[in-house]
Amino acid sequence: MVGLTRRQFLERTGWLAIGSTAISSCSWMPIMPTFSAPDLEETLVWVQALPNGRIRFFCPKSEMGQGITTGLAQIVAEELNVETAEVEVVVPNTDQIPPATMTVGSQSVRELFEPLSNAAALLRETLRERAAREEGLDSSALRDGRGGFLTPDGRAIGYGQIVGVAELLEADPRRNGAMAGTLRRYALDPPAGECRQIGQRPRTAGLEAIVTGREVYSRDVVVPGMVHGRVVRSPRLRGKLGAVESAGALELSDVLDVVIDRDRNRVAVLAKNPFVLDRAVEALEVEWQGGEQRSQDDLDAELDVDRNIAGDGFEHTLLEEGDPEAAARRAVRTLHVRYDTSFMAHAAIEPRSGVVSVTEDRVEAWTASQDPWYMRSVLARTTGRSTGDVIVHNHRIGGAFGGRMLCQATEEAAWLSAGCGRPVRVQWTREDEFRDNYFQPPFSHRIDSGVTEDGRISHWVHDYTAGPILTGSTMVPDHLLWAVDLFEDPGSHQNVIPPYEVRDRRIRYSDVRLPVPTGAWRGLGAAPNTLAVEAAMDELAELAGADPIEFRLGHTRDPRLAGVLREVARISNWGGPVAPHRGRGVAATFYENATYVAVVIEVEVDPGSSRVRPVRAWCAHDCGRVINPDQVEAQVEGCIAWGCSMALFERVTLEGGGIGVENFHHYPILRQEQSPEIEISLVENPTHPPTGAGEPAIAPTPAALINAVYAATGQRIRRLPISLNRAA
Amino acid sequence: MSTVEINGEARSLPDDLGQVRLLHVLRDHFGLKGTKFGCGVGLCGACTVHLDGQAVRSCQVPARAAIGRRVTTIEGLADTHRGANGRLHAVQEAWIAESVPQCGYCQAGQIMSAAALLARNPAPSDREVRSAMSGNLCRCGTYMRIRRAIRRAAESL
Repeated sequence: MVGLTRRQFLERTGWLAIGSTAISSCSWMPIMPTFSAPDLEETLVWVQALPNGRIRFFCPKSEMGQGITTGLAQIVAEELNVETAEVEVVVPNTDQIPPATMTVGSQSVRELFEPLSNAAALLRETLRERAAREEGLDSSALRDGRGGFLTPDGRAIGYGQIVGVAELLEADPRRNGAMAGTLRRYALDPPAGECRQIGQRPRTAGLEAIVTGREVYSRDVVVPGMVHGRVVRSPRLRGKLGAVESAGALELSDVLDVVIDRDRNRVAVLAKNPFVLDRAVEALEVEWQGGEQRSQDDLDAELDVDRNIAGDGFEHTLLEEGDPEAAARRAVRTLHVRYDTSFMAHAAIEPRSGVVSVTEDRVEAWTASQDPWYMRSVLARTTGRSTGDVIVHNHRIGGAFGGRMLCQATEEAAWLSAGCGRPVRVQWTREDEFRDNYFQPPFSHRIDSGVTEDGRISHWVHDYTAGPILTGSTMVPDHLLWAVDLFEDPGSHQNVIPPYEVRDRRIRYSDVRLPVPTGAWRGLGAAPNTLAVEAAMDELAELAGADPIEFRLGHTRDPRLAGVLREVARISNWGGPVAPHRGRGVAATFYENATYVAVVIEVEVDPGSSRVRPVRAWCAHDCGRVINPDQVEAQVEGCIAWGCSMALFERVTLEGGGIGVENFHHYPILRQEQSPEIEISLVENPTHPPTGAGEPAIAPTPAALINAVYAATGQRIRRLPISLNRAA
Repeated sequence: MSTVEINGEARSLPDDLGQVRLLHVLRDHFGLKGTKFGCGVGLCGACTVHLDGQAVRSCQVPARAAIGRRVTTIEGLADTHRGANGRLHAVQEAWIAESVPQCGYCQAGQIMSAAALLARNPAPSDREVRSAMSGNLCRCGTYMRIRRAIRRAAESL
């Protein structure tokens, strides 16, 4: 990236035609690799007007099903007076636009609303100025028209006419300083009084391609001449490669090579066709030495919060206010509870894959990552090239959930291609996906609290231990370090501070280094932390003899938190009759200090088998201004399914020094027959800027579910996944 | 060399691929990438295709099991039963109308299972839908929209 000028970007994206004068005179600073929020000038390269009158939008975010390509196109369309469907959305390769912030944390709309509406509005006004100049008019004389402008005598001028036949146009950054203060943004100040694209439900781009099987995922990429590789893995974590007997594999026809790289501690087979890979791996005899010797019980003991309380105490004090010990004496009833959660996997349905072609002068890769520019750096290092020689084509991801920062299969393909000089495809199996990955770390919580005579929370002392998230993955130790600086939240304490008023409180925690790689998982620590906070709130409400929603309302003065609690009570008919063997639970949170969400879950507990089924769910969700209600609802539905799945089933264990999960029979996720009917109310708060929707509703769902189990059975669940027999 | 009918066309299956699972032969020999690999052991349903109209997990079937039989994949589904717009299968149309897919990766398998369900049971109850579709995993959590889309397709068939 270093040294690439803006002009070079413009040429690569086709923005700059030969002879164009509008842009080429601009000076431009070299673009430095940056993972911070995009600066204003960088954003200008995202939106362009084409000679055919269409608007092209290079989407700087990865599409993984969250619908970001549609939501952002709506903002572009609003500013440029076109229909969303008329915006041509391009998922750029890493050469086409400057590096954009990775796609994480439900932050895309929150982060891009301002700069993108600004860039698109600036393009509109630049086009207006140019059209006015051609017409010999003042630009204020040109009114907005659909896809262009109207002259005072009513003639329509389309964007295509303005751009001209051989020229593409993007907003002129020289105008930026002059216009930024006065630029009218229709996304904020629509001429017709209300927005025509934002707030609507245009169909998601690419639906037809998906339902007809034409969408090209990274796993579907074919590159002429490609061969096929598969890495053989140590059954124990960190096993050291010993003797390799490759004769049996090499005897198979179509097997090209057995690649042994002791520096990288790696062995792989390389074949002309993919059909022989299973047999080749089977025929290969690989000895692994050493590796992880600890058991899951050892890890549970290391993580045990009570052991940490009894031991050296905690590394970090996140919060200390008032005098919790003194305040505890005011409690008439006390709570002393423990909640534990497990290692959990992303379990996306698409196992990762990549094709990489390493040639003398460049490296070309086809992958699916939440950060293609990060992948570019990884591949440059693997192949010993500069990032300027690497181009990454990013595909729609078949499920990411925090697990696709690094696409390891693509890195493996680059390693193999650099060695053999041919394009190499590496496709992970499901077993690879489960066993050689990073996970949500387990959490172990201890909460001491109580209620006073008048039903108030007396004090709140919360100690917990967790594996590290943002600083944690032993797979990618140094590369994720930059991410630490990026996230506003520090991962493992996401949402651990209760959104309720308690004067005397303390929260302490320790990161416990674990031998199992841990990293970002949908919502980071929000679900395990909200589980503890909101399950404890349920128990406190009971101690206070209060209704759980009223109890929460009594401890907040935040009108938006109260708003979602009241709304979820309304739509669920909270307090109404519940059928036998059923129970309802509630939980809420202020996710990442951005999105308010409250969830009610109704479970049915089979009296014979004790099987828990979430039958209905209600969610009130306030993410400020809503760009696309259909997409927000889809994300909330997905979050509730995810949260139910986490509560009911999900657990990865260390077995024999390796990951004890091979496939979905060891790691069940929520199925159709277990999935609840969901009713969602989007609480309209259009005066607040848009925030995220891809994770917030996950956080309260497991807590609401176990609170519902208590309502149905009288059993408190204190460890996930739920096992009624194991309940404390 | 034997013949397999794939999406209405007679295709030649090389003898040495007879033992290879149908999924891999469809994807990497015939180039039909719409059918997806998810687990390889018949647990997730992403690879669902129709064999003589029945939904099967193509990762569990050797390619030779399809010799002399009709294989329908997502690419050929529309030809088996056109919906109202005349281009797509009624189930595909319903999937678009209900905006079902998120990441979309499991959806070809979901649609093939749903189409096979409706072919044998044109008016399934909610319980029948849930039961018939429970072998198709979706990590994005599109289950409720899948149920809605199946109801919509059933009404249009």
